[in-house]
Amino acid sequence: MTSPFRSVWESLHERLYFFPPFPTEVDPLVLFALLLVGGLVAGEVLYRAGGLSRIVGYVLAGALAGPLTGWLDRESLILAKPFADVALGLLLLETGRHLDLAWLRANPRLLLTSLAESGLAFAAIYAFARLAVGLSPGWSAAAAAITMASAPAVVLMGAQESRAQGQVTQRMLLLTALGCAASFVVFTVVLGVVHAERSGDWIDALAHPLWVAGGSCLIGALCARLALVVAARQHGGPAARMFVLVAVALLAVGIARMLAVPVFLSLFMMGVVLNVGDRDRRLAYASLPDGLWMLAIVLFVVTGAMLPLGDMTLETVLQGLGLILVRGAAKLLGVVLSGGRDLPVGKQVLVGVGIQPLSATAIFMAAEISAVYPEVSAAALLLPLLAAAMMEFVGPQLCRYALQRAGEAETQESGRQP
Amino acid sequence: MSDLGGLSFTRSRPLSLGVELELQLVSLRDYDLTRGATDLLAGLRYDGSFGEIKLEITESMIEVNSRPRDDVGAIGADLDGLRAVLVDHCRRNNIAICGGGTHPYHHWPERRISPGERFAYLNERYGYLSKQFTVFGQHIHIGVTSGDDAIWLTHALNRHVPHFIALSASSPFVDATDTGFVSARLNAVSAFPLSGQAPDVADWAGFLDHMALLQSCGVAESIKDLYWDVRPKPEYGTVEVRVCDTPLTVERATELAAFAQCLSRYLLRERPPVMPAMQALVARYNKFQACRFGFDAQLADPLRRCTEPLGESLPALLACLADDADALGCRLQLERLRNVAESRQGDSSWLRAIAAGSENFHELTRAATERFAEPSGYRQGP
Repeated sequence: MTSPFRSVWESLHERLYFFPPFPTEVDPLVLFALLLVGGLVAGEVLYRAGGLSRIVGYVLAGALAGPLTGWLDRESLILAKPFADVALGLLLLETGRHLDLAWLRANPRLLLTSLAESGLAFAAIYAFARLAVGLSPGWSAAAAAITMASAPAVVLMGAQESRAQGQVTQRMLLLTALGCAASFVVFTVVLGVVHAERSGDWIDALAHPLWVAGGSCLIGALCARLALVVAARQHGGPAARMFVLVAVALLAVGIARMLAVPVFLSLFMMGVVLNVGDRDRRLAYASLPDGLWMLAIVLFVVTGAMLPLGDMTLETVLQGLGLILVRGAAKLLGVVLSGGRDLPVGKQVLVGVGIQPLSATAIFMAAEISAVYPEVSAAALLLPLLAAAMMEFVGPQLCRYALQRAGEAETQESGRQP
Repeated sequence: MSDLGGLSFTRSRPLSLGVELELQLVSLRDYDLTRGATDLLAGLRYDGSFGEIKLEITESMIEVNSRPRDDVGAIGADLDGLRAVLVDHCRRNNIAICGGGTHPYHHWPERRISPGERFAYLNERYGYLSKQFTVFGQHIHIGVTSGDDAIWLTHALNRHVPHFIALSASSPFVDATDTGFVSARLNAVSAFPLSGQAPDVADWAGFLDHMALLQSCGVAESIKDLYWDVRPKPEYGTVEVRVCDTPLTVERATELAAFAQCLSRYLLRERPPVMPAMQALVARYNKFQACRFGFDAQLADPLRRCTEPLGESLPALLACLADDADALGCRLQLERLRNVAESRQGDSSWLRAIAAGSENFHELTRAATERFAEPSGYRQGP
């Protein structure tokens, strides 16, 4: 049955030459704008009214629009996915640029800390998934690979939102970048394990991880080289360099999507290669413009809409909580036990708290795996997805708490607000 | 309000030296100032063998103090030891340090006041000026044997403030702009109400009277509140020259200490006539000339009622100090300063030359950090 409004519209379309047919699909730009405005309003309301991180508001807006009301359905999410890919890609690019090898050379203990917190987190989550939830070795490893790292989007945005500066902030960003690198390596291996476990096809088991890892590295490396070559021929100021960085990052996102290679991995690699290969420091100081961080709002709204809130039962919620707790304890212990005397213990604890977020990257990694085996992955990946769902609302607050408690977040009197 | 009894002058070894350097803490990621002083000090394992490392008013600054020394070689060794300790420790925290009187492009509202009662008091008292005080200077202490000598030497050194400014100037850039000054740092200091020159008091008793007046009027609680260009420091038994920008290298900082020591010896030995009241008439003008034009400054001489080009008077003064330099064992340091004065190529010129060849101010600060990180000729041990 058509609505009276649609009937009027269609009659006008028949009578008037210029009048367009009734639009049956939402234009992607309209959707983008609605997600942006909806997320922005929700984030700002929660920030002003409750002192919560804006990120929680963005995710809540997505959850309201998606699983809770059904307005954002699967088709809408497919339309919004390119925007979310771009946002996640740019955030992962920035995360990759934080993987500071020179710092690690000067302070190798940081590498030890990263290995400790990532390794302990992987082992604890794997053991929990295997023993407490009863997942198979392959899916337990997948759950661990997906959730072992911190959420780069949340940590970066949290630091950005708080305009934080200091050792806790810097170490959180570095550990997040290193954790991402470790998680991506494990993720590609796990892809092979899942293939072997599900289909027993050893060609897939070897070729798929190679395609994912090799493709991402190649796209990342080539695009980073391209950006550096173009930047070397540019004589403009910071704006020109930023333009080069964003334009080539968008190219990398597009190519990764065309070749069915994970966008987050390709852009992360691009960031790493930019950081390592920029000997003349052509793009070392190019920062993404503040306006681009608006894209991240769309990412968090889309992430909120992808949360499997409908699958929540008492049992799955308890399992998700269990994963969060063992993961949190492992990360905290990893940081504190391996931290040495570089930083006071209180600050090390705050670093451990600040890297707790678990979010968009995990959900997008889960989406990559579920695209391979949709029939089984929904149940098998429910555990990490529910854990990510719960942490979407807690992680940004933990990150914010750590930065504020460390005294590194900018106070109101310090000047500009984001 | 502090007790004036606490202002008794501590006798110290004549012409002994001490140097304080305020240094910039910059992020190795983008070379902007970063907040990190408290964490750096908390994680520092250092036995104090070269002197002290302390907080300064904002978290983006750190201060190093040499031990009291009799000769500039020992001062250089202390400063280089402190430099090496800090460079290594900062590197482990992804931070670099550098000299220079100003950071070329930092955004002052982003600065954070360091913890501590004194810093909180200054922030409360001076408002935004306290964050804008994120500028970096070298203070040189010269030991004297009595309060009266300290007051006399304070007045005598005041006349040479432009010389110290020109030789140390290393702050041409502020807010990513070439200010046209060789030392823009002192413009930040001038905003404070108790900056400027010591008053025309004849001796230590006169100084105590003046302090009592300031205290009773609520103007200043202690000598710490007085940001004079040159001031007595009774608890150390020294006269403190406070107008120098922090140089880009330990060598230059040591050479400036040598200049202060030789000049003080010369002044105390020769006792030239000093007329603080006359000098005060042109002090601000002469300081401006030195900050703005450096070696090209034209200084007003109120006694001879004429103008004196700093670029001519300074090399002559340095030549005149040769005997004192020989006696104090710092001829080499003074010769180097003379070369600087004659070539008119100080740290400001170096910064401007690097900036001209760089695409951005990040690279300029990077070059300054690398220059400061180089071991100096005063390095001890392997």
